[in-house]
Amino acid sequence: MACFERASPALKEILLRLYRDERTIDVDHHLHEFGSVEYYVQSTVSDPDRTYLSISTPILSQAFLISTRLSRYTMEKVKAISADVLEIVEPPKEGYQLTLRLNFARMPHGKESIKTITDIAAVQGVILSSQLEEMLMNVNSQDVAQGMYKPIKLVYHPREPFYVIKQPQKITAVFPMRFKEKTDVIIATTFFQELMDVANSKACAKAPHCIWSPIPPPELRGEAIEDLSTNGGFVSFDITSRHIEGKRLDKTVWNLLNFYAFVKNHVKSTRGFIQRRMRTCLKSLVEVLQKTGLQDDQQIKEVKGYKRMKKLVNFSKSKILRYRSDFTSKLKRIHSRLKIHGFGRFRRKWLSFPNFSSKTKYRKLEKDTSPQHN
Amino acid sequence: MANSLRLYLTCIRNTLEAAMCLQNFPCQEVERHNKPEVELKTSPELLLNPVLICRNEAERCLIETSINSLRISLKVKQSDELENILTKKFLRFLSMRAEAFQVLRRKPVQGYDISFLITNYHCEEMQKQKLIDFIVQFMEDIDKEISELKLSVNTRGRLVATEFLKQFI
Repeated sequence: MACFERASPALKEILLRLYRDERTIDVDHHLHEFGSVEYYVQSTVSDPDRTYLSISTPILSQAFLISTRLSRYTMEKVKAISADVLEIVEPPKEGYQLTLRLNFARMPHGKESIKTITDIAAVQGVILSSQLEEMLMNVNSQDVAQGMYKPIKLVYHPREPFYVIKQPQKITAVFPMRFKEKTDVIIATTFFQELMDVANSKACAKAPHCIWSPIPPPELRGEAIEDLSTNGGFVSFDITSRHIEGKRLDKTVWNLLNFYAFVKNHVKSTRGFIQRRMRTCLKSLVEVLQKTGLQDDQQIKEVKGYKRMKKLVNFSKSKILRYRSDFTSKLKRIHSRLKIHGFGRFRRKWLSFPNFSSKTKYRKLEKDTSPQHN
Repeated sequence: MANSLRLYLTCIRNTLEAAMCLQNFPCQEVERHNKPEVELKTSPELLLNPVLICRNEAERCLIETSINSLRISLKVKQSDELENILTKKFLRFLSMRAEAFQVLRRKPVQGYDISFLITNYHCEEMQKQKLIDFIVQFMEDIDKEISELKLSVNTRGRLVATEFLKQFI
């Protein structure tokens, strides 16, 4: 599923090309993804081993925005991608939040190089994930206001904000779900109900507790009305400490960031599935109707022409015309000299030249002898 | 097949057998015109009493007969929102491809989900018994297909939900 890949396919392609090819001209690429993410790749012929990659990405939450620059935790995460190959340039290029200097000379050889480039192409995913990771770890009791835990609004996509609420034993992620069409709403609602059932089953006892509700949960009281008006209801996940331990933190964060994309992908593929089923059913119904025709009882057989006749009709047109003229002149001769009683009928039956619509085949209709219904 | 469904379909079959005795009949109002009287309803003497067969409140079949045409309208059961949307989607899909069916009406009669219009010309081109078989099988297939689709959508949802939640474990 390409939409859930962390690495940007276009950026990966460009970096691979830069790594493999010998450059004869300067490279200057501007890439835009999802409307709000921008990459700027710069490489010169004079210094082919060094490539500059600048990234501009939206900040996940305005609540944690201190300056336009990325936090130290995010920087460390980015550095951890490949400490040998990439280096963070300070200050970043103007208009970008992060600039990386890539040293292809230090790139490991073989398949490792492709893996490293894929990891570098996933830098935007690392920045976003690390922001959410940091929030999940840093949110503390200072956010408590009059006994209520303040929800943090996260905007991964401008039209798809979601909320994270830190509570004593758990962190609740609430997704307001919006869809354009009624069909999508119903398919998604069915999915949410299944999600709730599965989350409450024994098989997924260790998975986060999931609740779907058509009305906003009480934790979101006081939020802007436009953020709480939905047609698909609200999906909440209760993330406990076991879901953010060690390596699970990364997975949990990525799953939460991609929940909207996951649901939309499910809705889209379900619509495609319904369409395919309808097409198959249409075919079978049309076949039933085609059998109702009167011609159905008359078995049509393709019969091969008689051997001699086939030979005869296989002649060329000029040959046929020549034979015909000879044949008619012979008949005329017979006709003029002798008069046999009944020969005219014999001639019409046996000596007339046959007409064929097809050279080699004709259609033979055999009527069914079984009694008809009507 | 459920017993009530069998009875419902047998009743429709018998009614159709009785109603499908159509003949060519030119329009009485306009010269050199030949139109299905069941649609125009210009001459009451050419129309028979419509027959309404109901399986329950949600499922019913209306059979309207005239001298040269017959109109069958079906209301398919929609027990919940998912069935409602699947039925609407499916029957709209079929109505948009009405030319493939010849006897299918592009727009259903008001209050029904799908309508068929059978004229005397259809009866001349096709076998009456098989045409009735088709209508009955169509009703059976639609019921079956919508139930299966609903089940498939739920099963797909369950599988996808399981896969999603497994990633947290």
